[in-house]
Amino acid sequence: MSAFYEGLAEIFEIEPAAVGPDLVLADHNWDSLAVVSTIALIDECYNRLVDGAALARCERVRDIDALVAASA
Amino acid sequence: MTMDAAAAEPTAPPPGFAVPGVRLRGVVSALPGRRLENAAFEASVGAEAVADVVKMIGVQTRYWVEEGQTASDLCFVAAERLIEALAWARDSVDALIFVSQTFDQRLPATACVLHGRLGLAPRCQAFDVGLGCSGYVYGLWLASSLVAAGCRRVLVLAGDTISRVIDPSDRATALLFGDAGSATAVEADADAPPAVFVLGSDGAGAANLIVSGGGFRTPAPDPRRPPGLSPEHLYMDGGEVFAFTLRAVPSLVRDTLRRAGRTTEEVDSFVLHQANQFMLRHLAKKIGAPDRTPINIDRFGNTSSATIPLVLTNDLAERLASAPTRLMMVGFGVGYSWGSALFDAAPLACVETVTA
Repeated sequence: MSAFYEGLAEIFEIEPAAVGPDLVLADHNWDSLAVVSTIALIDECYNRLVDGAALARCERVRDIDALVAASA
Repeated sequence: MTMDAAAAEPTAPPPGFAVPGVRLRGVVSALPGRRLENAAFEASVGAEAVADVVKMIGVQTRYWVEEGQTASDLCFVAAERLIEALAWARDSVDALIFVSQTFDQRLPATACVLHGRLGLAPRCQAFDVGLGCSGYVYGLWLASSLVAAGCRRVLVLAGDTISRVIDPSDRATALLFGDAGSATAVEADADAPPAVFVLGSDGAGAANLIVSGGGFRTPAPDPRRPPGLSPEHLYMDGGEVFAFTLRAVPSLVRDTLRRAGRTTEEVDSFVLHQANQFMLRHLAKKIGAPDRTPINIDRFGNTSSATIPLVLTNDLAERLASAPTRLMMVGFGVGYSWGSALFDAAPLACVETVTA
């Protein structure tokens, strides 16, 4: 389990084991607060700043992973 | 470092300014008497929203003015206490700078009214600066520049009453803000080491934190605003402002250290604008000094231009009154506008919080 997925589990208030690429964000209160928390988490784990609007448009965890990879 | 790496280093000098011969003498913060707990907001935004928002912003209590009390009233009380504690003759003050976005009237400048109330001399200059989150640092920068130009004593009065421009039903802003005023005494001292300043702006962010009404331009409609939010009320796109902060603040701190030739370890305290608890904890980690980055937003909320003096007078008072302290003060937000000030502060003759 990566530190990033553990951080996401904390933001969504679910078990870390439940976080995977297929997790549907809309099922876990993907609101502006969650987006802001995730921006900070990505900065902490990867030292990268992603665009908030692009992050808000992500539907699954795999989309976030792709956004992080694209922001390199 | 290899030769190649050295060649790749930027050759431009570090940004910023060093101003010698300036001392901080004292700081007083003034809080209004009305204290509000989070439960007071459950009726307007709902208990669930209160819990959600508080988890992020970390505000537990804040102080709000009563109807009829203004930012200049708070600053006046702070200034009276400061002048008395320092035993400054009223006619020895060369300049008064009022930093606020919640002034008394559209004209004249509130600084002129405060000049009259404080009984300062006719030769004392007085003017307003319309900045918020970054405003205290800009006030110190201007005061220091005035001292470098020949002024001996400058008062920086910084305060805001953002409670007067928030829509109580807007969960993005209703719980975040508190009201406060402050007064800071800046004085010429030939022996003072240089204070270092780094300042900047990005007007592209203007619409993300704005009260669009009340000026002379008809407010343009913004589809992002919650329906029904009046132009007279504050609009904040929290996500955009947060992303700006993450971009701007760590590099601002780095630039300031570089300009001053200092390391993170050599700074005794990083006093950050108290914007939001989650943001502050994150920034403190990024700066690498979470143990030296005081947070008091839980007690006072975000008081705009007064957050930095409120940290000085509440969280650092004992230290500042007794020992030399190297302080980095960092303001950032509405504008967008940002600034940092690195001071080698000698023990302050007066550092306290009063009730106005």
